[in-house]
Amino acid sequence: MLFHFIIQSLKRGAVSLVRRQVFFWMMVVVPLLGSWFLFDLMKAGEVERVPVGIVDLDNSSLSRSLTHNLEAFKTVDIQYHFRNYQEAADAVQRGLVLGFFYMPADLSERALSGQSPTVSYYVNYAYYSPASTMFKGFKTISMLANGAIVTTALRTLGVPGPQISATLQPVLTDVHALNNPWTNYGYYLNASFVPCFLALIILLVTAFSIGTELKYGTCRQWMHSSGNSIILAITGKILPQTIIFTAVGWFIQLMMYRVYDMPLNGPPSHMMWAMVLFVLANQGWALFAMCVAPNFRLGSTLCTLLGMLSFSFCGFSLPQEAMYPWIEALGFVMPVKYFFLLSIDQALNGIDLYYSRVYYAALIGFILLPWPLIWRLKKECMHPVYVP
Amino acid sequence: MSFFRNIINWPIDVFRVWKREISLVFHDEAVIIFFLVLCAVYPVLYSLIYNTEVAHDIKVVVVDDNRSHLTREFVRQLDATPEVCVMDYVSNIQDARRLMNEHECYGVVYFPSDFTRQALGGGQGHVSLYTDMGVFMRYKQMLTGLTSVQMNMCTQLQHAKIGITSENSGGIIENRQVALGNTAQGIGSSVLPCVLVLVLQQSMLLGICVLRGGSRERRLRNRGFDPLEINTWVSASLVGKSLCHWVIYIVPTIYVLHFVPMFFDFPQNGATLDIIVLMLPFLLSVSLLGQTLQVFVNDRETTFLVMGFTSIIFVFLTGISWPRFMMPDYWIALGNVIPSTWASNAYISIQTNAATLGQVSQSYYMLWVLVGFYFVAAYMVERFICRPRYRRMQQYAAIEPDALIKEEHRRNAVDQSGW
Repeated sequence: MLFHFIIQSLKRGAVSLVRRQVFFWMMVVVPLLGSWFLFDLMKAGEVERVPVGIVDLDNSSLSRSLTHNLEAFKTVDIQYHFRNYQEAADAVQRGLVLGFFYMPADLSERALSGQSPTVSYYVNYAYYSPASTMFKGFKTISMLANGAIVTTALRTLGVPGPQISATLQPVLTDVHALNNPWTNYGYYLNASFVPCFLALIILLVTAFSIGTELKYGTCRQWMHSSGNSIILAITGKILPQTIIFTAVGWFIQLMMYRVYDMPLNGPPSHMMWAMVLFVLANQGWALFAMCVAPNFRLGSTLCTLLGMLSFSFCGFSLPQEAMYPWIEALGFVMPVKYFFLLSIDQALNGIDLYYSRVYYAALIGFILLPWPLIWRLKKECMHPVYVP
Repeated sequence: MSFFRNIINWPIDVFRVWKREISLVFHDEAVIIFFLVLCAVYPVLYSLIYNTEVAHDIKVVVVDDNRSHLTREFVRQLDATPEVCVMDYVSNIQDARRLMNEHECYGVVYFPSDFTRQALGGGQGHVSLYTDMGVFMRYKQMLTGLTSVQMNMCTQLQHAKIGITSENSGGIIENRQVALGNTAQGIGSSVLPCVLVLVLQQSMLLGICVLRGGSRERRLRNRGFDPLEINTWVSASLVGKSLCHWVIYIVPTIYVLHFVPMFFDFPQNGATLDIIVLMLPFLLSVSLLGQTLQVFVNDRETTFLVMGFTSIIFVFLTGISWPRFMMPDYWIALGNVIPSTWASNAYISIQTNAATLGQVSQSYYMLWVLVGFYFVAAYMVERFICRPRYRRMQQYAAIEPDALIKEEHRRNAVDQSGW
């Protein structure tokens, strides 16, 4: 008899998915298209050729050689030569360039007479990532310019070549960006935003599929088909979705690590298992929301609200320790946070499973979360009250 | 004669639609939540999240194989930078690695044993930084801190070494960075203006779709008719509804785009009047976009499902995170037809970079183009998809009164044939 109910509720769960087109669109098309969008958008990896301008008031051989050197950089792309500061500032405001390099009229005169002129670079920080790229380019060129002048001067004094660089930079930094030496922006951002996107969809779909039963008053029938056992009813409803979402999640991981070559330095199985847990954890979370607020509208509002906010408060771009403590704490209520931390450990850094044990455990915790409260949902299903 | 009557009746119908839409909005708490509460709460939440702007004191550990005066001075200076916090010394790289794996620190600074000898003895002393790349801002901050200490150290050592030569070695070109607009260089001041515009757009889209879902649900119960709908020309209906949404959004727009940046000290260099004028075509085009997209919404709750995820796509299309000039052409093209792309970039120029409306005229005109574009699109959708659909519903209901409800139940897997 139990077996009969299991089969019946699973069948009902599966059939309800094909009855409405929206499930196909939301469970398969949107996650795949959405993650492809993010991968494809940032496939160039690094921001390059930022549109910038030059204000050269000096027009000397020194300033021209600086401009030439800057043109050779791949970080910036000199699109305009402005006659004065006002023109350049106007172009920034119009959005034609994102920054400009300013050389004063007395640049070479002061440089050659030892009076330390100043070159300035104006960087529009309204756009964060091109601004950092631009800064890098401008900074390097200024340092190089400096080097060129001092090198010439020291050479005239008879200082041998290797000693010149030692004199200029006695301390050198070697920066090792571990496991993402290309500082590829796509690799970094997609590791968090793509799972978060998937999580949002899972939360919405789970809440929607349970909510429609409440809304259309079909929950009595739903319970009936699983022998009035809420556990069977939930399993039958959720499990077909789990299978689809896991398949979609694995496909996204395939795109991530094989097609778009994001770093995967640990065993693939760790991430694949994490994906299974991640799907289940999000379903558990949505179920929990529906148990806390057994009402279609409230439950799905809760899922949308937190699903959307988790892009921001889970510490993907602003690190968690920099946030207000209560917001940092809020990040830990979402499964995607743990999945993100776990994927840094297991995919990016490929460290021992031992160090990520807490994150796996947390994901399992989310799966168990709704079960103590499941009676609330059962009560609602047996005595449905729909308030339009 | 009827032509002249139409000329008189059209504006009257527009007004009737406008009035009905206002009453529908204010009698529907879900729509009020989207139109007003969402606009009130979301910007504040986002501002609070990003209000700290930058990360300070990123934790690093030091592995010092040199243990000299110079390395200790270096570490002291590094610890004193706002960006980096030196958590501890450990004896070797393996221990440092373990601390990183345990998420105790995010970077390792390593001095080789010949550091001082090289740095002071005519060579170059290398200091290595190993950073975790999980979150880019940490990497950037560690890099900034380390570079500033390195340059400082270089200057000190240069003076010690070539004291006299440097006097004669020609002027050293100084350089300085001037941050435009977002002078704090914070992530909040950069992302927030864009998010604020997006909140306006998405909340309006959600609200419009919920209204449409409600209308369709009324049609199901009333044999294909919506008793609350004004029966009039498609164009009058579109114009009336758009004007209604536009009027309702005046207050939220001023609150979100003027007062929220003020509360949280985000850059606010633009003229408020320019912003309001910029928002006129924006709100109209969003309303018409909503009336185009509502064709995908069947009942009120589907709205979340259909509209929820679009925010992410739209945010990325504006180019705030990944710049537009790096995007493939087809994504730029897709971004061009979304009102938020033009509005948020123009808003950032005005608010952050103190541009005038004249300087962002391209975005302004493009928004008017989008108003036209989505008017045509919404007209087509309403005229050739929605209205024929309603007529079909009415025909089915005329044959069998319960047909619509039954069909709806069938779609929700309520099967009569005995489970």
